[in-house]
Amino acid sequence: MDSNLPCLILFLLIGCVKCSFDNQHDGSRRYGYCVLGAGPAGLQMGYFLSKAKRDYIILERNSGPGSFFNKYPRHRKLISINKIHTGRQNREFNLRHDWNSLLSDNPDLLMKRVSSEFYPPADAFPTYLSMFEKELGLRVRYGVDIGRIRAVQSPRDRSYILTDQHAADYTCSVLLVATGLWVPQKVEFVGSDLVEGYESISTDPEDYKDQAVLILGKGNSAFETAQSILGKASKVHMLSSSPVRLAWQTHYVGDLRAVNNELIDTYQLKSLDGLAEARLDKIGITQRKEQSGRRSGAQKKAKFYLTLKKHIQHQEKKNSSDAPGEEMPGYHIDNFSMRKPYDRVIRCLGFRFNFSVFDSSACPPTSDNAKGRLPSVTPWYEGMNTPGLFVLGTAAHSRDYRSSAGGFVHGFRYTVRAVHRVLEQRYHNNPWPSTKLMMTQLQSWILKRLGEASGPYQMFQVLGDVILLRGSHCEYVEEFTLQALPQFSSVSGHEVSEHGLIVLVMQYGNNKIDFLGRSRAETDWTKAWKSNFLHPVLYYYDTLPSEEDMRLRPTGWPLPRPKAIHHMVEDFLAEWDTPISHIQPLRRFLEHCVQTDLRAFYAESCFRSSLTHRKPPLFCQQGYLKQQGVAHNSQPWQQVHDAGPMPTEQDTGKTSGSNPAFPNYLAQAGASVSSGLKLDF
Amino acid sequence: MMWMCVAVFLLWLRSGGCSEKANTSELIEYTAADFYEKLHSGKMMFIYFEHQVSPTISLFLLELEKSADALQDYGVLVGKVNCDKKLVQAYCTKERERHTAFLFRGGKEFLGFDLDTVFDVNSIVSEVLFAILREEVKYVHTDTDLLAMEKAARGKKDIVLGYVRSLGTQEHRSIMETAYVYGSKYQFILITGGPVLKHLGVDESSPSSQVWFLHCIVHSKLPRSSERCPLTRMRKPLSTLSLHSFLQLMEAPLVSEVYEDPSSVQNPQFPYQQTPQVFLFSRPATKQQDLDTATALAWRLRGLALLLLVHRLSPAVKTPDEYNAAYRLPEKSSEVKYLTLNDHDEVLELFTNHDKEEEDEEEDEGWLEDEEVDSHFAKLDDEIAASVYENRGNLPDMDSITQLTSANFHTAVTQSRLTVALFYLKWDAVSMAFLGSFIEVAERLEGSEVQMSAVDCGEWTDLCAAQSSLQIPFQPITAFPCILLLRPKEPAQHYRGMLGSEALHRFILLSLQASPVLLSTKEEVTSFLQEVPLPALAGYNPDRVMGLFKTQVHTGVSLFAEAAKSLRGEMLTGLLTDVLAEKWAAEHSMELPAVLVFPSWRTHTPHSTLPVSTSSEELLTHIHSARLHPLPELTVENLPSFLSLGKALLLLFVGEEEDEIGRRQNQALVEEMRGVVELGGGRMEQYLACWIHLGRTPAGMSVLGSYLGSMPPLPALVLTHLPSGNDIYQFPPNMPMVASSVLQWLQRIQEGAEPAAGFLGEDSWPPAVEFLDFLKIMDMQEPDSAQQQTPEEEEEEEDSKEEVVKADDSSSSAATFHNNPHSEL
Repeated sequence: MDSNLPCLILFLLIGCVKCSFDNQHDGSRRYGYCVLGAGPAGLQMGYFLSKAKRDYIILERNSGPGSFFNKYPRHRKLISINKIHTGRQNREFNLRHDWNSLLSDNPDLLMKRVSSEFYPPADAFPTYLSMFEKELGLRVRYGVDIGRIRAVQSPRDRSYILTDQHAADYTCSVLLVATGLWVPQKVEFVGSDLVEGYESISTDPEDYKDQAVLILGKGNSAFETAQSILGKASKVHMLSSSPVRLAWQTHYVGDLRAVNNELIDTYQLKSLDGLAEARLDKIGITQRKEQSGRRSGAQKKAKFYLTLKKHIQHQEKKNSSDAPGEEMPGYHIDNFSMRKPYDRVIRCLGFRFNFSVFDSSACPPTSDNAKGRLPSVTPWYEGMNTPGLFVLGTAAHSRDYRSSAGGFVHGFRYTVRAVHRVLEQRYHNNPWPSTKLMMTQLQSWILKRLGEASGPYQMFQVLGDVILLRGSHCEYVEEFTLQALPQFSSVSGHEVSEHGLIVLVMQYGNNKIDFLGRSRAETDWTKAWKSNFLHPVLYYYDTLPSEEDMRLRPTGWPLPRPKAIHHMVEDFLAEWDTPISHIQPLRRFLEHCVQTDLRAFYAESCFRSSLTHRKPPLFCQQGYLKQQGVAHNSQPWQQVHDAGPMPTEQDTGKTSGSNPAFPNYLAQAGASVSSGLKLDF
Repeated sequence: MMWMCVAVFLLWLRSGGCSEKANTSELIEYTAADFYEKLHSGKMMFIYFEHQVSPTISLFLLELEKSADALQDYGVLVGKVNCDKKLVQAYCTKERERHTAFLFRGGKEFLGFDLDTVFDVNSIVSEVLFAILREEVKYVHTDTDLLAMEKAARGKKDIVLGYVRSLGTQEHRSIMETAYVYGSKYQFILITGGPVLKHLGVDESSPSSQVWFLHCIVHSKLPRSSERCPLTRMRKPLSTLSLHSFLQLMEAPLVSEVYEDPSSVQNPQFPYQQTPQVFLFSRPATKQQDLDTATALAWRLRGLALLLLVHRLSPAVKTPDEYNAAYRLPEKSSEVKYLTLNDHDEVLELFTNHDKEEEDEEEDEGWLEDEEVDSHFAKLDDEIAASVYENRGNLPDMDSITQLTSANFHTAVTQSRLTVALFYLKWDAVSMAFLGSFIEVAERLEGSEVQMSAVDCGEWTDLCAAQSSLQIPFQPITAFPCILLLRPKEPAQHYRGMLGSEALHRFILLSLQASPVLLSTKEEVTSFLQEVPLPALAGYNPDRVMGLFKTQVHTGVSLFAEAAKSLRGEMLTGLLTDVLAEKWAAEHSMELPAVLVFPSWRTHTPHSTLPVSTSSEELLTHIHSARLHPLPELTVENLPSFLSLGKALLLLFVGEEEDEIGRRQNQALVEEMRGVVELGGGRMEQYLACWIHLGRTPAGMSVLGSYLGSMPPLPALVLTHLPSGNDIYQFPPNMPMVASSVLQWLQRIQEGAEPAAGFLGEDSWPPAVEFLDFLKIMDMQEPDSAQQQTPEEEEEEEDSKEEVVKADDSSSSAATFHNNPHSEL
């Protein structure tokens, strides 16, 4: 990582340059921040930059924001939920169930203003983005098509130069790439040129009337396509290398959503549709004319056969109009499942990042995961090897590919905010926002976050709250990028004290279970670590884990093995606030981390402990001793304690004083108070 | 339909096997003559007069037959008389007899039972015994009745109280059978629900049949005599056998003292052989206390285990000192397990948990499981959380409170002269405990100009974070509960007093007064100094501060006004300027400007004049210290303000006075303390002389006990909280408490010539309960799952994680093509 100093100096310099040249010197424009792309991620970053009053520009090649959504999804229905009625008024909480809106201070700037549908029409989204851009007055320059991006390294700093279609240059100290994914992903195989693409197929079901259709891919776009033609096509087969993954089983919203899965029904009920697995680079598509011309004299219609690469004799001869029968798999395998021809083959394999505009000096490497479709980024979303270039939005999904929501609006709106905080700290010395809390208030604050926080809830296992312990108080830092924990101090600008830290993460269980089966849910808090559904987990470290610790973390864990861990048992209502199952175990864990009794006491108990000890428990120190003791209220139910010396009544324990009947008892006895009765051996 | 089938089946049985059945039937069939003979002999008899046999009747007869055996033990003959053979007058003629069975006693019909109530063997036995024991077993409906019974039984008889869900059940039978045996020894009472259950602390929604033992004989010997007899609940499911052994356990000695090692103590003897034993240890030095402790625990263990107190110093005792308890379970091995307890609750848990586990096994798992919370973890150990939890059934009545939201906040605040807002979180026990007090204050203030309101910060998070784009007159709330006083166009004022209804109510009323009040006439001054401003405050005499300045524009005025503002609600402040001020100063022969404090406790010299201050903070400090009583009576409310002085406490404990003489004695003692302060002069500067009245502040009792290890005779004088150490000194109890000797004693302490009588506790407060270490559990149950990976493994890991698709394909694709032709190509 670069040292901060040069960047800072750079900024000062840019500042000077800006004053004197008014941004428009010899066709080159200079900006502190260039955001590439006015999609949801670009606008989201624009909002944070604008709120921080930074020198920024958003560059967009199209004439409006979110142009991807003008075309995609092809069948024009968004599958991100727009839940307007949650029964709650808490804005933060409601974002847990609003997957389309962007973050802003304006409480009304939400998707629900544009559409009231649970799955909004795709057109609503660019409309929403445009409203977002206009109402917040974001600086977007439309019609700027950046064709080339290169980095310029001077001895002191590094900047990025962007060249548009008119050869105009934009010089940026920080480049935020929010270009999304829009290059269709293709796989090369024999006959791959015979295949139609999702991007260009007809969306009119009539065009598929009585046709046999083969769809390559089993993602949401493939199923969306299948679903739209299900009523017209004679049969729909779907082929890809891995079996269908259902989002409700994997908890990954990029997997097949139930809203698109009608074909599974027709397949399993044996209604002519079907799913199959094969690696696409092992297949071939060959074309054969049907022998029907003799009767009608009409044009012979080409039919497509699926075959295997190894059966094709002349692999170089690509556009063979008529493949020989020996190339047909049915010729080799008697009951080959896809031996019948297809009228159409459609490719629905998703999209890839456009690496082509990056000069080698500015090009982030491809990621190891996601079939190399995405750029590889650091835990704080800076391109690997491209300091000062950050990747935002869907393109930054390589960090949590197939595990969390970072590839989707409801996830990356939070990672964009995290990146902005990284920028503020690195370039402007503004540490991450934090809240200072008294230690006795921490438990309530954690419960408050658990009850409403949307960031860690959506970006489970990726973003988490970090609590810096400082003795009698603590600093609460929200939504830190967990994978950057080893670099916490430099990234956030907060020091970790010798008291250590606690990280609060939302997690699913690691076990693959039957998510609709019996005993799917754990209700006993003492077995909370076996929870299968989303639940809070707290990690306590006495020092920051190292990068090595992070790399070697236990399989399936978001963080390395801590000193102590606490799982809060999953909850059907996702409200982790019951006194016995959630709150008390949490308190005991926090007490363990800080090695201090964190219980609350009535004034009378504080009175006793203040007189019998040099210092009373923390709660009394932070309340009672500041003359804010908690009085017993005079409601009748409080008198439960005075019900008399029933042998069945249970004493609360350690501080002998917690039972108010105690002194009376003694008064009556007139006897000695024994040290034995104190019970603190 | 079902019934038809059964009926047909039974009919078939009867017709088919009639003759055979008659032979095997054990039910004695009496002839009319037999019947009369037995009747006249005075025997108890339970007889059914049989006419035609319908299916229902034949079912009844089967049950009647079964009950014959059981009732025989209680001297009741059971049988039937066949009316078809010979008519028994009065019983074989009327229609109603066909559905009734009769109990005869002393030669007469005692009671008729409708067959609906005696339908099976349990109901027959229980109802018949209930009838026989009519005099012995009382049926109680209300708590008042129960109380009357308890009063009557006090010192005479213990009470066995049974609750049965319905009569005629097996549980009912068990109680009646036991009552038959023990009826003369104990008073048996039967209840079937209602208010009595509430008194017993039973959840009324779905109680199961239970038995309690009310210890009324020992009642009078108990130290604290409440109206009620202490009670023990039987924990085992109700059956004749369990009830029997429970009653025997109640007879067992509470604590037995032994001089042997636990390992050589015999297993419990009949009839207690199924009962666990718990051992505690005693030393000669603390003999009485140890016995008290053991007795207290034994009361709680009653019915669960027997308690034995082992005399540790007895030569036969070999238990290492590190253990302070032991127990032995009755099962299989009779091995003694040793424990080191921090808390005697742990022993209790040992036995109550045991029950719980057994129950658990029977229960189904599932989301909607109706959990019974009774286990170790289920107990809340936080006193505030526990009291809120106990009260969870009663939802607070929030009608008297305005709910503030992000939407209505501004209008609500502008509409009212004073809005008091409680910011709370539902899951914060302190918030919820305080909410009750807050509502109480709101109810008291109803109809006044004060608007009492509340903000649920779990819902209106942006309002509580002061985040709204609108102007919010306060800082983000980060500590709960938080009470703000809001006035239109003014920054919010924090309430920083006790979280209780009295203190808050007083504060709100006082803050309705202007601060400072501008005093412009002599009458106003008098009224300010002498009258209580609001009738609602009657009986409370607030502290007052008055500022006197030559002119209104004097620099001191703004300083004073600023201080007054922050004192608003705490005390009354008044401002006097110009001519009036000068006149007042002249009358009282003092210089202007002046700030006078009138603490409520000061009666003879009514005010103290403060030194000139240069800042409002300084002024406030002066005001606060002038308010402090020089020889305060420490109470729960005021202790913090005196502790903050950081002085050692010369603390006098006086007891509750029973009469005027006692009162005067206590008064004299406090005066003597004043003497100490005065006589000591400068030497006393380092001490705060103070006293605690144990009648008014009973919490002081355990403080004193903990200082000295035992309760000394009162009065007691101690020196504690010395800055130099944790030692606590006690003024010799046999020495008369006079000023000079107290001073000498203090002198000796300083010289180190006095032995410490006790020590203050540590100031570190480690967690009271250990947390549940999930990491440890994971390591045990899934050994590798929580371990860091080793570097070599890691590469493999990354590979396999990287592309599931490729991994499972490269090997299998070819194969699937051939072998699995249908679905997976």
